[in-house]
Amino acid sequence: MAQLYVVQSADFTFLLHQTEMTPGNLSAHLSKLEDAGYVEVTKEFIERKPHTALALTKKGRTAFKEYRKKVKQFVEKLPE
Amino acid sequence: MTKEPNLKEIERRAYTSYHQDGLLDIFVGVYILGFGLGVYMTIMWEFGFGVIIPGILIATVLPIWIAAKRKITMPRIGFVNFGIRGATKITAFFIGLMVVGLGAFSVFILATVQGGSRMWLDLIFQNGMLIVGFGSLAVCLLFGYSMGLKRLYAYGVLSVIALVIGHFMRIFFAYILTALGITVMVAGVALLIGFVKKYPLKGDKAIAE
Repeated sequence: MAQLYVVQSADFTFLLHQTEMTPGNLSAHLSKLEDAGYVEVTKEFIERKPHTALALTKKGRTAFKEYRKKVKQFVEKLPE
Repeated sequence: MTKEPNLKEIERRAYTSYHQDGLLDIFVGVYILGFGLGVYMTIMWEFGFGVIIPGILIATVLPIWIAAKRKITMPRIGFVNFGIRGATKITAFFIGLMVVGLGAFSVFILATVQGGSRMWLDLIFQNGMLIVGFGSLAVCLLFGYSMGLKRLYAYGVLSVIALVIGHFMRIFFAYILTALGITVMVAGVALLIGFVKKYPLKGDKAIAE
């Protein structure tokens, strides 16, 4: 989600290189995020080749912001 | 352990991975070479090619660069849309390059045409290479930092060294530009070869997944 948070949209190949995950693993992650309504999948054709663009939805961005806030709070509460 | 994701680092990595193909370097090299050619032509035919050529290059290089990205980079590392911020960075880089180039050539032509009749023009003409050198260093440092491309620092340092040496050794400006353009282009080609080897094409399936 962090990878998609910093860009407007990206495709599967780009995310694969950035996350260094296996295709199966990444696909499973994306399916779950799509089911949760956090990721939007757009299928299109670029120069007659099928292309799948992935982007965070508004709900996904809000959820990620919340997650970051919670992690920050959690880390701050830890004793030194 | 749970840790907060470093978004700046992730963004920087996404951005630099997209510009590790060397295409930016090749086109910047061509652009600098174009400036060098402009100086040669200005002196040979006594016409302001130094201003015309950068304009022609901006109009032609940018569409070719975009097409090359689509043909070479995207099939290998995938497609990413950085949104307005990313587009602004790259546009700012090309505009910065154009402003520095056109500024340098306007100064060069003014100083050449008026023959240093005014004190300040004479001063600019005499120190033109130093001005362009330090201007290039500033542009390279600025865009190297904002785009996260550390090799731009090296280009900036290289430019300032070459132009300072050229100034003190009285080497013709166009020779320095040609040498710099070729160096940046060769670096770009080396990066492109490395990129193509590192990310071989995996066929249409990789894109379609």
